[in-house]
Amino acid sequence: MKKHSISLQVNGAVHEITIQPNKTLLDVLRDELNMPETKYGCGTGECGACTVLVDDQKVINSCLTLAATMDGKSITTAAGLQTAEGTLHPVQEAFVENAAVQCGYCTPGMVLKSVGLLKKNPNPSEDEIREWLEGNICRCTGYEKIVTAVQLAGKKIAQADG
Amino acid sequence: MTEFRTVGKSEIKIDVKAKVTGRAVYAADINLPGTLHAKIVRCYEHAHAKVKSLDLSEAAKIPGVVKVFAPEDLTTKFYNQSVIDIMVSEDMRGMLGDIEDQKILTDHVKHYGDGIAAIVATTEEAAERAAERIKVEYEPLPVYLNATESSQDGAVQFTPQKPRNMAFELPEPAFPNNTLGWGDADEGFKEADIIVEDNFYTSKQKQAQMEPNSYIALYDDDGLLSCWTSTQMPKSVQPKIAKLFNLPMSRVRIIQTVVGGGFGARLGMVLEPHICALAMALPGHPIKVQSPREEDWLTSPSRHPGDYWMKMGFKKDGTPVACDAKFVNYKGGYYLDGSGVAFTTGGWVSGLYKFGALRYKGESYFTNQPVCGAYRGYGNPQTNFVLEQLVDRACHELKIDPVEWRKKWHKDVGDDGWCAGVPYASCALDEVLDEGAKAIDWKAKREKYAQQTGVKRRGVGVAVMVHTSGAMPMLLEHTVCTVRLNEDATAVVAFACSDMGQGSHTTLRQIAAETLGFPLEDVSLSVGDSNDAGYDIGAHASRTLYVGGGAVMAACKDALKQLLERAATMLEANPDDLEIEDKQIFVKGSPDRKVAASEICSGGVYPFLNPQTGAPDTIPGQILGYSSFNPMHNSPPFGACFVELEVDTETGEIKLIEMVNGHDIGRAINPAVVEGQLEGGAQQGLGMALTEELYFSTDGKVLNNTFTDYKMLGPSDMPKITNVIIENPDPHGPFGAKSVGEAGLVAPVGATANAIYNAIGIQITDLPITPEKILKALNEKHAA
Ligand code: FES
Ligand code: FES
Repeated sequence: MKKHSISLQVNGAVHEITIQPNKTLLDVLRDELNMPETKYGCGTGECGACTVLVDDQKVINSCLTLAATMDGKSITTAAGLQTAEGTLHPVQEAFVENAAVQCGYCTPGMVLKSVGLLKKNPNPSEDEIREWLEGNICRCTGYEKIVTAVQLAGKKIAQADG
Repeated sequence: MTEFRTVGKSEIKIDVKAKVTGRAVYAADINLPGTLHAKIVRCYEHAHAKVKSLDLSEAAKIPGVVKVFAPEDLTTKFYNQSVIDIMVSEDMRGMLGDIEDQKILTDHVKHYGDGIAAIVATTEEAAERAAERIKVEYEPLPVYLNATESSQDGAVQFTPQKPRNMAFELPEPAFPNNTLGWGDADEGFKEADIIVEDNFYTSKQKQAQMEPNSYIALYDDDGLLSCWTSTQMPKSVQPKIAKLFNLPMSRVRIIQTVVGGGFGARLGMVLEPHICALAMALPGHPIKVQSPREEDWLTSPSRHPGDYWMKMGFKKDGTPVACDAKFVNYKGGYYLDGSGVAFTTGGWVSGLYKFGALRYKGESYFTNQPVCGAYRGYGNPQTNFVLEQLVDRACHELKIDPVEWRKKWHKDVGDDGWCAGVPYASCALDEVLDEGAKAIDWKAKREKYAQQTGVKRRGVGVAVMVHTSGAMPMLLEHTVCTVRLNEDATAVVAFACSDMGQGSHTTLRQIAAETLGFPLEDVSLSVGDSNDAGYDIGAHASRTLYVGGGAVMAACKDALKQLLERAATMLEANPDDLEIEDKQIFVKGSPDRKVAASEICSGGVYPFLNPQTGAPDTIPGQILGYSSFNPMHNSPPFGACFVELEVDTETGEIKLIEMVNGHDIGRAINPAVVEGQLEGGAQQGLGMALTEELYFSTDGKVLNNTFTDYKMLGPSDMPKITNVIIENPDPHGPFGAKSVGEAGLVAPVGATANAIYNAIGIQITDLPITPEKILKALNEKHAA
C-alpha cells in the first residue's frame, strides 16, 4: 500500500506524518499520535464516541474519516479544549458541575459534539440540543444531565462573551 | 441537612475532570512497550456445530503472526466465567447444581460467535489477515432457540451434566416441589372472585455499555500474571484466574482500569481467561485485545430472555388471595449464573405484595444463543413487566385505582423481604406513591384519558418495585477496608469496590470523610489494584454503597477510635468525653483542653526518642483503621415509576411524554448521583419496554449486533423526567442509605406497559412493545 504524507494539526501542534491510506483519523490519533482521549465505541459511525472538532467549526466522527483527507486540517480533541494552565472549556465545566458524566466513555465525544452545536447556535432550545446529540450514545445518564449541561454551557459562554 | 458536613451534598465526582478531558485511562488506552495484539477467531457460520477440522497452517505464515492457537494449545480446563461459585458455600454450590462448562476455545460451537481459535501478532492488521486464512470444517448441529426446542427428546446435549438441557430448576429439598413461596396456592384460588392469567415473553436485552471489551495481560519474568481489565469484580476475577491457571493468588494481579460502563456485562469474567491464557503462552510479552463493538453482543452476557406465565386470584375488594408463576429462561450456550436469575425472578415476586399464597417455579434451559448472565435488575425487570401488568388488569376489572391498590397491598416494614427470613426494616413506598402521583397529576390524567376516541391516545401508568442492597443472605457479602492516617492527619482509604461510573468512589469517600470528621479533600482513595486492598466481591446486586459504605464506615470508626484514645491519654480524659471538630480533638465542655489530630498522627509516624529518657515523647505507631465487614441486612429500597405516553393508533408508534421516578433511598449520600442512577436506569428500562431485543435468524445468527439495528432510546426519544427522592433513613444502611443503581431500571418497564394499557385498553405481553405488535393487537381487537 502506498503511504501518504500529511500534515495534521492537533490541539495546536503540527504533526508531519506518513500514513497508510486506509487509516482512519481515529486510528491515527490513538495509535500513531498516542492521543487516546478520542474513543473507539463502534468504528462504524453509530455512536459518536470518536467525535472530534475540525477547524474549530465542524464535528465529525473520526472513525469514519480517512486520515489522508485531513491533510492541512486542524483537529481539536477533548484534551485540546482545556488550556495548558488547566482551565476547562465552558462545556467541560458545565458537564463537571452538572454531574453529566458517569462512566465517562461517551464524554469526550459528547463534549465536542456540544461544542460544535454551541458554535452554530449559541442559544439552543432543549429540543434542538436533544436532536443535535442524536448519534452520540450515552448508556449511563439517560441524557438528562447532559442536555441541561449543554444549556448551562450556553449561558456560561454568553456570559464570558457578554 | 445541617447535621452532616458532606453526606447529602452533590459533591463533584472524583474522576470527572479526567473524564471531560479524556485523560481517564480505560484498558484500550494502555500501551506497554512491546505489546502484541491478539484476536479471538469466532464462528460466524453456525450457531451450533462441531469443529471437524481446524487448519491454522496458512494463518501462521502471514507476516507479523507470532503464534496461532487451537483449543488444545491453551488450557482446556473447564471454567465458569460468572462468579456465583465463589459467592456460595460448597454445599450450596452442590445443591444449586452450578457447573463449569466453558473452555477458552471450543470445538463444540454452542452459539453464533463462539471462539474457536486465537492469533497473536505484532499488529492488529496482521492478526485480522491471519484470521481470514484459517480453514475450518464444521459438522452442523440442530439449532435450538428456545427452551421447548432444546429440551425435546433426542436434542443434542450441551453438557452431559445437565440432562434434557435443563440447566437449572429450584432444587429440592430447599424448595419443596421445586417451588418457592408460601401457603397453598390451589386453595387460595378457590377463594378468588376473579382470576387474571397470561403468558408473556421477556426479551434478550443487552447492557451495551459504551466501552467495548479490551484487555491487556502480561506474564512477567517473575512469574507474575498481571491483567488490566474493566471488570466490575477485580477481587473475584483474581481467585478465578488463579484457579484456572493453577497459580497461587500471589502470582495473579488484576488491575482495574477506569470502567466504561458495566450494568452486569462485566460481572465476573468476559475475555480475561483468553487474554491471560495467551499471555502465559507467550511469557514476557504484553498481549492486548481490543474486541470490536459487534462482538460485545455475542461474548458478554445479556439479560435472560424467557417465557413467563403468571396467574393471580383476587377477591372483589382487591384482596390478592393467590399468585402462581413460572419463569422459563433461555440460558444461551453456557451455564454462567444459571441458578441465580431463575431464583431471584421469583424472589422479586415474593418481595412485593402480600399474596395469600404464592407458588413460583424457575427453570433455565440451554439454547444456541450468546450467554446470559447479570444485567441490572437481575430478573426484576422481567417480573415487573408481568406482575405489574396483571395487577393493573385486575384493578381494571375490579374498578380499583392502581395506585390505591398498590398502597394497600405492598409489603411493608416487618414483612418478609425478597428472601424469606429477612424482614423489611424500612419502607417509604406510600410516600413515594403519593408524591409521584402528585407530580404526574395521576388522578386528573387517569380521568381525562378514560374516554379517548381519536387517532392519538394518551395513557398514564404506574408500576412499583422492591429491590435489594447487596445479596445477603443468598450470597456472600464481604468488603474489607483500611484507613491509614498520614502524619498530617489526612487519610488514605483503601478498598476494592468498583466504580463503573455510578459514582461509588465519590460517595464512599463522602462516607469516609463524614465518619472521620475530616474535610472531603483530606480523604484520598487507594483503589484499582487487586494487590492493594483486601477482599470485595465486586459491583453487583446494588451493593457497593451499602456494603462498601458499611465497610468504610467501620474502618473509619476504628481509626477514629484509635485517634481519640491517644488524645484521651494526652489530655488525661476519657475517650467518650472527646469531640472532633476541624481536626482538633477537645474535651466536651472545655474547649481549651485540646490537641490537634495532626499532632497525634505525626507523633505516631515520627516517634523520636527523647535523649534524656530513651523513650519516645509521643505515642508511637501510624494509625491504621481496619474492617472486614459482613452486613447483617440487605435493606431493600422500594420504588414507584409513573409514565405518560401517547400511542398513534394508525402507526402503532409510541411517544414518551413524561415520567416520574420515585425512589425510597433511605438517605441520598450524593443526590446528583442518585438522580443520575434513576435517569440512566430509566433510559434502559424504557428501552427494554419499547425497543431493545437481540434478534435471531432461524439458524441462530444474530441479526442486530450493531448500534443502528439494536435500537436504544436516544436523547430525543426520552420523556421529560422528574425524580422524586424520598429520604426515610434505614436503620442498617450507612447514614441510613439504601441502594439505587439497579433499581432505576425496574419499574419503568411495568409503568410503560401499563401506560399503553391505559391508552388503548390492550396489554402487550411480548417484549419489546414495538409499533408492529401494537398495530397487530389493535387490529385483532377491532376484528373481535
Ligand atoms: S466510534 Fe466512531 S461513531 Fe462510534
Ligand atoms: S457516561 Fe457512560 S456512556 Fe455516557
